Amino acid sequence: MNDRCAPGGSAWRRLLLEAVVICAVAMAVGLSMNYRMVMNAFTGKSVAPEPLRTTTVEVAAFPDPVELEEVRELLAAGALLVDARHGDEYRQAHLPGAVSLPLGELESLLEAFRKEVAADRVLITYCTGFGCPDSFDLGVLLLQAGYQQVRVFEGGFPEWRDAGLPVQGEGL
Amino acid sequence: MIKARLLLFHGSRLLLGGIFLYAGMLKAADPVAFAGQVANYQLLPYAWNYLTAALLPYLEILCGLLLLLNRWVRPATLVLGVLNLVFIAALASLIVRGIDIDCGCFRPDADSHTSPLSALLRDLGIMVLVLTTWFLERRKNREERA
Repeated sequence: MNDRCAPGGSAWRRLLLEAVVICAVAMAVGLSMNYRMVMNAFTGKSVAPEPLRTTTVEVAAFPDPVELEEVRELLAAGALLVDARHGDEYRQAHLPGAVSLPLGELESLLEAFRKEVAADRVLITYCTGFGCPDSFDLGVLLLQAGYQQVRVFEGGFPEWRDAGLPVQGEGL
Repeated sequence: MIKARLLLFHGSRLLLGGIFLYAGMLKAADPVAFAGQVANYQLLPYAWNYLTAALLPYLEILCGLLLLLNRWVRPATLVLGVLNLVFIAALASLIVRGIDIDCGCFRPDADSHTSPLSALLRDLGIMVLVLTTWFLERRKNREERA
């Protein structure tokens, strides 16, 4: 009886070995295709490959991306978090001290926001992370509206929450 | 092996391979958006969602290709079976926790919303394909050797 016919252990061992080879090849290919994205995610750097320039308007300035550690330093120095997500997401849970300024409602809310927040205050926009463009777009529009120091926290709400940092909201 | 059974084997092998090749390619094209969909499950720490999004599509693509090419059918089917069990467990955990998100099964940025329950039912259907491919392949091999 040759090895191929053996119904018992050796056939299963071979099958498992082949399955492991499949997984290893897929991991090698996947890692080499996405090496930078994975490394950035695990080292706390922003993951979005390019600044998400989805706005159609010609703009002179783009907001700089900022990483989690720096967000905490800026907050300690008095920066203001600006939540670009929908209002109901904000009500569910948001970063502590953040104000809600949904990108879709910016036009109607901007006047009130300008009255409350001085133009030289450091602003940090965020949204749902993972490449969501709203925080970047909001940053661009706030720069246009006259704010001088606008940064984008691209990891957004998920990176903050999953780092074990406190969040506020009704849905907790 | 009688002809009808052989047809059923090749049919389910090709369908299974096609489904996973298609699903894997869609996700591989936009790993950042797919990572966001993995994160919606709220099962993994932040960076692990990116790792999953980097690897999973290529596992689906490779197994799908092997099935389509009729090579290494047993191990590829085994991997897809295990993967499918993981998907079913993850979807069931969504239902238990009352989280209603898009399953992220195919196109990461699709407007269409496949609820956890319908995705779970679809995965049970895929499980039937996995089992059909697995057992018919075994039978075919045995008869060929005999």
